[in-house]
Amino acid sequence: METARKVSESSLTLAIDIGILDLKKAEFYETPGGFTGLRYEGKDYDRIILRRALPIGHPMEYISVADKDNKEIGIIRSLAELSEEQYAIVAAELESRYYSPTVHEIKSVKDKLGYVYMELVIGRDGAKYAKNCAVKDVSRNIRMLDDDRLAIFDVDGNRYIIQSLSGLDKKSLKRLEPYLF
Amino acid sequence: MNTHKFYYDLDLTMKPVDGVLTFDERGQICSRIGGNELLSISAENINEVAVLPGVGCGLLLSKMKDGSEILLCRFTMSYMRAAGEFSKVVNFYVQTKQYAAPDEEERPVCEKCSRPLVEGMSVCIFCYNRIGVLKRALQLMRPFAGKIIPAELFMTVSSVLYLLVPLFSRIIIDEHLRPMKGTFQQLLLLAGAMFLARALGEVIFILSSRVFNEASIQYANHLRNLAYEKIQKLSLGSLSKRTPGDLIRRVMEDTTTVKEFISDGGRWAVEQTIIFLVVFIILLLTNYKLTLLVFLPVPVVSIALSRFWRFIHIRYERQWRKNSKCQGILHDIIKGIRTVKSFGKEDMEIEKFAKATRELAEVSSDNETLWARLFPSLTFFTGIGEFLVLYYGGYRILDGTLSFGVLVQFTMYITYIYAPLRWFVSFPRWLADAMTSMVKIFEILDEEPDIKSIPEPKNVPLAGKIAFEGVTFGYKSYEPVLRDINLEIKPGEMIGIVGRSGAGKSTMINLLMRLYDPVQGRIRINGIDIRDMSPEYLHENIGVVFQDTFLFAGTIYDNIAYGKPGATPAEVIAAAKAANAHDFIMQTADGYNTIIGESGHSISGGERQRLAIARAIIKNPSILILDEATSSLDVETESIIQDSLNRIVQGRTTIAIAHRLSTLKNADRLIVLENGRIAESGTHVELLKKRGIYYRLVMAQRQTSRLAESG
Ligand SMILES: Nc1ncnc2c1ncn2[C@@H]1O[C@H](COP(=O)(O)OP(=O)(O)OP(=O)(O)O)[C@@H](O)[C@H]1O
Ligand SMILES: [Mg+2]
Repeated sequence: METARKVSESSLTLAIDIGILDLKKAEFYETPGGFTGLRYEGKDYDRIILRRALPIGHPMEYISVADKDNKEIGIIRSLAELSEEQYAIVAAELESRYYSPTVHEIKSVKDKLGYVYMELVIGRDGAKYAKNCAVKDVSRNIRMLDDDRLAIFDVDGNRYIIQSLSGLDKKSLKRLEPYLF
Repeated sequence: MNTHKFYYDLDLTMKPVDGVLTFDERGQICSRIGGNELLSISAENINEVAVLPGVGCGLLLSKMKDGSEILLCRFTMSYMRAAGEFSKVVNFYVQTKQYAAPDEEERPVCEKCSRPLVEGMSVCIFCYNRIGVLKRALQLMRPFAGKIIPAELFMTVSSVLYLLVPLFSRIIIDEHLRPMKGTFQQLLLLAGAMFLARALGEVIFILSSRVFNEASIQYANHLRNLAYEKIQKLSLGSLSKRTPGDLIRRVMEDTTTVKEFISDGGRWAVEQTIIFLVVFIILLLTNYKLTLLVFLPVPVVSIALSRFWRFIHIRYERQWRKNSKCQGILHDIIKGIRTVKSFGKEDMEIEKFAKATRELAEVSSDNETLWARLFPSLTFFTGIGEFLVLYYGGYRILDGTLSFGVLVQFTMYITYIYAPLRWFVSFPRWLADAMTSMVKIFEILDEEPDIKSIPEPKNVPLAGKIAFEGVTFGYKSYEPVLRDINLEIKPGEMIGIVGRSGAGKSTMINLLMRLYDPVQGRIRINGIDIRDMSPEYLHENIGVVFQDTFLFAGTIYDNIAYGKPGATPAEVIAAAKAANAHDFIMQTADGYNTIIGESGHSISGGERQRLAIARAIIKNPSILILDEATSSLDVETESIIQDSLNRIVQGRTTIAIAHRLSTLKNADRLIVLENGRIAESGTHVELLKKRGIYYRLVMAQRQTSRLAESG
């Protein structure tokens, strides 16, 4: 059963080229305008768009690289294959396209007229900021990403991540508890 | 100097900041964080400013005349709308050299507290007027007041009758039994009165609660119909702001919550308050010292109860969610059972459902256990009052200062005091839930239809020319789907629209049908803006077959006649024949009376399309729109339908969308849409000569058909 699956999988990937980029021929660079560009196989793309194929399970693998007209140039199999300097450029570009700040603390939760209002403390690298958000339809918009990670999607379309539910302080957890399921 | 400001909240490295981007009437864009100027560019060098949405954030970029691009600023999704406004202001300046402040289409804020309103809500969550909401709910109840008020009154009478029972007990004990001087007759009389009070109370209760329930059900129905009617009238734009689930919940569940609150909550509130007061007064008049003892534990019990409710409520909410998750899974699987079976995934689905029910069972049993553990301790607390009364009362009886009957009466009344108490504590929660539901219903009722029918519509005969004039539109304001569409269609012309999937073809149809209004520009028929016509008239005169055909559960006949209520059988059959549906309909045992299931799943895809065509042409519309109407049909059936359509289409304007280019072979003119713009237009031959997009499409399709021939 398991081997049968493997065989068919590899024959599929043999038959269809998913366009993995040859990173030896790729050079990512920062443009003067503030974007990220790519020189690849003799072509110069002056603003590329990076997209995660599997943003939840594999955020640093299978990164689709498209030109500014949204045409895919190819896929980065794994960021780990990049040199340190190239990695920094690509990771920064990804970071700026996917904004989902980490939640450190939940100051208050209010349930009003079917909306849940939260006062959050968010931030990274030690810096912390207060942020208020409103969540609608909690059963859909507060959900577990995996066993310990939780995402909150607010009405504006922002997303906040609790990196470790078990690592959250007692008070915050208690406030959030009614909405977990 | 006029300046348009856009406040943004992320710096280039995605750290939260307070930044501002300004655009002034001299055409200068400036970005500042704190006092620092980060960049300053002149609109002279700009081609366009665009919003680029990311995930959870977005950015504004400026496309320069020299081909380079400059990042202006980054922001979180909370600022998306404002960013769209900013780009509009700049782009307007770039195109016209004029500075125009944006229309006040900013994010709606609460008038009182000026907090931004939550998307999709018209009421501020923080300062909505509770009394006002309640008043309105009561006002809507007025037609049923004739039933509700008397029923409520009688029910109160019946409870007060119950309250007499302990009084009788006291009289029997104190005046007849204890002194041992009562006659048998007197006793019989009193016992009879006691029995009568109870029986009468019971009868009144049964009758009045029946009336009451009836009235509250009617009230819920009334609310439901109001909401449903309103939903039918709202535009697609405002409906798609909410999910179908949300709307269904509002119409069905919220009205039920309100009904339950009124039939149970409201009724109890009145009844229990009266009982509580009556008992309190009776007790006070009988013996004030004992009364104080009865009430001594009340504060403690109240606090304990309210704590308890909050605790248990959260847990029950969790149980409710688990339950709805189970239902969701079930719903999904049953709808998609064909897919599940054909992938052989039954076991996996069984496991998925089993897991959800297991979790539900765990939570429920947890809750039951908790309830079983906590409830006795609550009763214990309530018991303290009884205990105190018994102890003190017994002591006073032995003392000879209290009569035995009074004590009996007191212990009987204690239950009447504590029962409402238990209930009063949960009342705020109950009221809050009902309030939430009421507000949600009123929101639907109050929603202003954004596709407005004007008071004096100009309904001209529609068999005329259709003109798209500078039409720009996007489902989300910052992502235009159609840009500056200019197109004139002559009366009787057949127009074919082609283009890649997602190019905006169906969107053009949505606009022509006025399911949405364009953001810029206008659509005219015979020189009249379609916004100046009544939507009903417009829809009556346009026959449309949408890409995703939807048939209603019902008979084939009803589905075809849907387009023209009161159509004669001859008309229905004619429409079916024109759509080449007649033959397959006649193959079924029940002919036109065949019932097709929900969304027509019991017939084939092509058959469904043919019924949809019949439905569109039965009203003999002057404009016919076919969006991929024959895509599921074989080429032969398609050409039969086209021939009959050609016969009826004479003199009628037709717009046809198709990926299969042979479908459009009869078109007078072809329009090629690319990225929301009209890229090419002309006849088949003209476009072939041009060797552009259309030419490539034709060549690609020829190749595949040649492949089919040779293979
Ligand atoms: N109701 C909607 N809300 C938001 N976006 C929508 C909606 N309907 C369509 N879109 C988007 O608008 C764009 C144009 O859609 P449209 O349906 O007009 O394409 P189309 O040309 O008819 O494509 P197809 O050939 O696949 O039918 C698409 O990118 C689509 O995702
Ligand atoms: Mg379409």
